[in-house]
Amino acid sequence: MKVESRTILGAVVFLAATAALYWVLVYEHGHHTEASGIAMLTFSACAYAILFGYLLVQYLRREGHPRPEDSFDATMADGEGEIAYFPAASIWPAGVGLGLILAGCAAVWGLWYLIIGAILFFGAAIGWVVESDVPEDDPELQSPH
Amino acid sequence: MTLIEEERPPEHPAPAEPVLMEIVPGPRPHGLVKYITSTDHKQIGLNYLVTSFIGFLFAGLMAEGIRTQLIVPNNHFVTENVYNQLFTMHGTIMLFVFLGPFAFAGLGNYFVPLMIGAPDMAFPRFNNLSYWLYLGGFILMSAGFLTNNGAANFGWFGYAPLTEAIHSPGPGADLWIVGVGLTGFSGIFTAVNIITTIFTLRAPGMVMFRMPIFVWNQMVTMFLILLAFPVLTSAFALLWIDRHLGGQFFNYDKGGQPILWQNLFWFFGHPEVYILALPYFGIVTEVLATMSKKPVFGYKGMIGATLSIGALSMGVWAHHMYTTGAVLLPFFAALSLLIAVPTGIKFFNWIGTMWRGTISLTTATLYCLGFLVMFLFGGITGVILAQPVLDFQLHNTYLVVAHFHYVMFGGSAFAAFAAIYYWYPKMTGRMLSEFWGKLSFTVMFIGFNLCFFPQHTLGLRGMPRRIETYSAGAGWSFLNMLSSIGAYIAGVGVLLTVWNLYISYRKGAIAGDNPWDGQTLEWACSSPPPEHNFESLPPIRSERPLWDANHPDQLTRVGH
Repeated sequence: MKVESRTILGAVVFLAATAALYWVLVYEHGHHTEASGIAMLTFSACAYAILFGYLLVQYLRREGHPRPEDSFDATMADGEGEIAYFPAASIWPAGVGLGLILAGCAAVWGLWYLIIGAILFFGAAIGWVVESDVPEDDPELQSPH
Repeated sequence: MTLIEEERPPEHPAPAEPVLMEIVPGPRPHGLVKYITSTDHKQIGLNYLVTSFIGFLFAGLMAEGIRTQLIVPNNHFVTENVYNQLFTMHGTIMLFVFLGPFAFAGLGNYFVPLMIGAPDMAFPRFNNLSYWLYLGGFILMSAGFLTNNGAANFGWFGYAPLTEAIHSPGPGADLWIVGVGLTGFSGIFTAVNIITTIFTLRAPGMVMFRMPIFVWNQMVTMFLILLAFPVLTSAFALLWIDRHLGGQFFNYDKGGQPILWQNLFWFFGHPEVYILALPYFGIVTEVLATMSKKPVFGYKGMIGATLSIGALSMGVWAHHMYTTGAVLLPFFAALSLLIAVPTGIKFFNWIGTMWRGTISLTTATLYCLGFLVMFLFGGITGVILAQPVLDFQLHNTYLVVAHFHYVMFGGSAFAAFAAIYYWYPKMTGRMLSEFWGKLSFTVMFIGFNLCFFPQHTLGLRGMPRRIETYSAGAGWSFLNMLSSIGAYIAGVGVLLTVWNLYISYRKGAIAGDNPWDGQTLEWACSSPPPEHNFESLPPIRSERPLWDANHPDQLTRVGH
C-alpha cells in the first residue's frame, strides 16, 4: 500500500498547491468572479485526501506485514488461499441498469418513467443483495468477506 | 541497477500453483443470456469493445456526411440543422462512446486483470452494471435522431446559452444530457472498479513498480475520471434545472453566468482529453516493447511522465477559454506548455524502446509508428494553440479541428487499431490477417493525412469550424475537396479492418497462447483466457515476468 498511498498523496499535494497558487493569482489579477476553478481544485484535493486517509489506515494496519503483492520476492505460494468472492453470472445488474436508464428517461419525457424505473431499480437491488447473502452454514457457498 | 542473481526463473514457466481455487457454483449461461448476465471481466470487456466500435462506425458515418456537405462550396447535401446535429453527435459519440470507453472500459476491463495476474475485477456485478449504463447512454443520446427536432445540435461541449430551452427546444438536447450523464456514471463505476482491482488484486510479487505501463496509465486515467466526471454530471444537473425548472445558472439575462458552464465543462473536458489519450499511450508502450523484443526503455521515467501528465491536466482547463477574456492567461498558458515536457519524455522513451531492438514490422507496430508521427503533429499544433497570443488568432478555426483530429484520430484511434491487431489473437484465439491489416493501415494513413493536413491551411486562411457551407470566393474550395476525398479514403481504410475482423474471426490462423513472444502476463494464459484466467503464473521478478520465464538467458535487469 506504500506506493499506492504515496501516489494519492502526491495528487493531494499537487491539487492543493495548484488551488492555492490559482487562488492567489486570480485575486492578484482581479478576476474576482472566477470562483468555480478555485472551488473545484480545492474539492478535488479534499476528495483525494479522503482516499489517502483510507489507504494510510490500511497501510498502518499492515505495518511490518506486507501483502504478497507488495513484497518483491513473494512466490505464488504466498498468495495461496481464497483471494476474493467472485460471483457467477447474475441478472440483477442488468435490472438495476435498466431501472436507472428509465429513471434517466424521466428527465426527458416525464415522471412516469421515474416510477417504473424506481420499481425496477429497487426490485433488482433487493435481488442483488439477496443473491450475495449466502447461507452461513454452507461452507461451499460461503463468501470469505 | 543490479542484476538479480538469486531467484532465477526456471527454464519453463513455474509449475502450476493454485492462484484462485474458489469456483463459485452457479449457472454458466451461453449466447444472449451470457451477454446480459456475465460477470466475467473478459465478456464485459468484449461487450464494451464491440459496442464502442459500433459507435465508432456510426460516428464515422456522420463524419463522412459532414465532409460530403463541405466537399464543394454552397453545397446542399444536408440542411443547416442536420449539419449541426451531425457534428455535435459525431463529437459526442466519438468521445463518450468510442475513444474513452474503448480504452478505459473495454481494454481496461479485458487486460488490466490479466496483466496483473488477477482472476477477475474487484466488483464483477458492478462491472456488469456499468456496461448497461454505458449502453443505455449510447442509445439515449442517439435516440435524439428519431425525435421531431432531431438530436442535440449545439456542439459537443454544449455552450450556454445555446443549450437553454429557448434556443434548443425539444427532447434531443435532454436526451443528450441524460445519455452523456449515463456514460459518465458508467465511467465513474469502471474507475472505482479498476482502481480497486489494481490496488488489491495483484498477483504475489507484482509490486506497483512491476506493473506494465499500460496498467499504470489505466490507473492514472481512472484517477482523472474520478475527478472529472462528477463535475460534468453536476454541470448537467444545473443545465437540466435551467431547461426545465426555470433555473438561471447560465442565463445572462437573469443574472446567470454562461462562463460558469465553460469553467465547469472544461474542468471536466480537459482531463477528459487525457482520459482519451493516456490508455493509448500505454497501448503504444506495450506494443512497441513487445515488437522490439526489449523491455520498456526508462520504465520509471515513463510512469513519472504519466503521473505528471495526469496531474498537470487538472490545471489547464481554461486554455479552451482564452478568448472569453475572463481567464487567467499566464497561469493556463504555463501549465499547458508544461505538459509538453512529460509528453516529450514519453516520445523519447518510445524511441528508446525501439532503439537497437529486433523490431518486427507487424500491423500493430505500423499503427504505433503512425501514432508516433501523427500524435507528434497534433502535439506541436497543441503547443501553438496553448499560447494565448496565437490562440486569439486561431481559436475556433479549422486549425483547431486539424489539431484535435491529429491527437484523437491520428493519435488515439490509431493506437486503438494497434490494440485491435495486437490483442485480437488473445481475445479470439485467431490471428488477424497481416495482408488486410497492412493494407488497411496504408489506406487509413494516406486518407487521414489527406483529410486533416489541408485543414491546417484552411484554419490559417480563416475558415471557422462548424460552418455548414462557404462561398466559392473564399479560397477554401480546393483544400476542402482534398479533405473530403481524404475522409472517404480513410473510411475505406477503416472498412478494410472491419472486413479483416470478420474474415479472421472465421478463417484466421490459430494464434496459440503467445503469438508475439509477449512479455506481460496476459500472454501466459490461453487464448481466449478461461474463466478466472490463470492455470498457473510464472514467478514475477521484473516488469516482464513472462519474458523472464520464456528466455532465462536474457533476464530483465531489475533494481529496487
